[in-house]
Amino acid sequence: MKIAILRRFVLLSIMILFFLQFFKVKALVGSLSGSVAVWSLTFIDIFAYFETLLATREFSQQALLSVIPLIMIYLIFGRAFCGWVCPMDFLFEIINKARKWQKMKIRISPRIGYILAFLFLAASFFTEIPIFSNYLSHLTNFFRMLSSGIFLSINLPADKTIFYFSGGIIILLLMLEFFLPRLWCKVLCPLGKTYGLFNKVSLLKLKVEEGRCLHCNACEQLCYMDVGIASTNKSILHDTNCIYCGRCLEGCSEKIIKMKLR
Amino acid sequence: MYISRRDFLKFFISVSAVSSLTANAISVSALSDTLLSPLPNIDIGGIIRPPGALIEKAFRARCISCGVCVNVCHVMKYNSIAVVGIRDLRNFGTPYVKDMRDFPCALCMECPRHCPTGALQEIEKEKVAMGMALIDFGLCFGWNGDVCLSCSKACPMGARIFDFYHGLWGNQPYINENCVGCGLCVKYCPLGGSAVKVITRGQYEKVKTEYLIGFKNLLEMQAEDRYNIVYSRNLPEILARGRLIEREYR
Repeated sequence: MKIAILRRFVLLSIMILFFLQFFKVKALVGSLSGSVAVWSLTFIDIFAYFETLLATREFSQQALLSVIPLIMIYLIFGRAFCGWVCPMDFLFEIINKARKWQKMKIRISPRIGYILAFLFLAASFFTEIPIFSNYLSHLTNFFRMLSSGIFLSINLPADKTIFYFSGGIIILLLMLEFFLPRLWCKVLCPLGKTYGLFNKVSLLKLKVEEGRCLHCNACEQLCYMDVGIASTNKSILHDTNCIYCGRCLEGCSEKIIKMKLR
Repeated sequence: MYISRRDFLKFFISVSAVSSLTANAISVSALSDTLLSPLPNIDIGGIIRPPGALIEKAFRARCISCGVCVNVCHVMKYNSIAVVGIRDLRNFGTPYVKDMRDFPCALCMECPRHCPTGALQEIEKEKVAMGMALIDFGLCFGWNGDVCLSCSKACPMGARIFDFYHGLWGNQPYINENCVGCGLCVKYCPLGGSAVKVITRGQYEKVKTEYLIGFKNLLEMQAEDRYNIVYSRNLPEILARGRLIEREYR
């Protein structure tokens, strides 16, 4: 249980830092797709960076300065963002627990996600608008819904249509999650696909002690992302789908799976 | 059929404009429509960007609608930036200054400093070009028998932007093209609905000649005609506007 609590603690503390901006605290301002930390450091999401790069067709120093710290973070932690920081992961987990029946198993190749991400990049190149981050991104829409809802409720200027649109996107994603568990994370989400590429080179890794596995398959039962932990017979996992949620660590009866910085 | 005063005036003005064009006759009614600036006819639905924004196409390509500028503006307690809704799909999710009557831009220049993508570029206050404020000479107190000058007192740029014309009723304000378009004058105009409007630079280029001709005619007008127009038409409208609770202008 330790890791699950730590994971939720990280999410909660980051969400609280973001929420403090509505009380005019300058700790973390913006949203998860782009933010300002302690009123000086700027960050932007990596996929959004590529989208703007293709949309503007020119190099921007400011954007590069904002994306470099995040690339460093992802080189260390890989796709841990999805499991530890993304608010949708938390909402999806709640829905997973609320659902009474067995989850449907649909096998869709995760490669479709790469095609989709490529299509979004191509669309932002041809329309010259960062399509995914402006319209569909769950990170943008989550925070846009939050801020516009709060501003509307205290009579500050905000568009109602923004609130309805963003809320609609989030509800659509939750409905998708209700019927097809983790389809968004596993297959569709272009952000996750981009972060997943960092799993190949990241320092944080799942390690399985060789020779002691009983092949009880408990880890793969628990895994949200259909990562073949025991079946691949590898001591170090390089799977692009792993979000380092640590559920396999807890489920393993022999405690042979470890999450380690290499 | 109900015809509001505004509609009636518009109709009256358009008829008189046509007649003045065709007959080229100088009468008080013809003078009155030259005095009336084209402001009431300008569409103010344009998108006024936060300070330091790139030109439209480049801005749209850079902006990832992360919401940093919106929240920075909220943290700075000005609350002037909102996000474009689905009324304009091409600009969906990008920031704009929504309500200049109540939440003008204070030019604190924090949003361009913190924009993570460089869609808002850090520039000096004086070089900001968010829009262009235009005074409606038919509604402005200063041009219609009072000494008000609230707009020039509110302006953060002061004498760089405001020209004063010594006229029949003391100093009368005029905003020149150095205007940065922050909208502080819009907020502090005491008239109901504000006699100042901020329009985008693109729109200003379209209405510029018309507006300047109207202003020139106003300056060259005889004192007698001015009195006639001010007391017969402008002042009643100003007084009526003063009673308006819901403001018509932005």
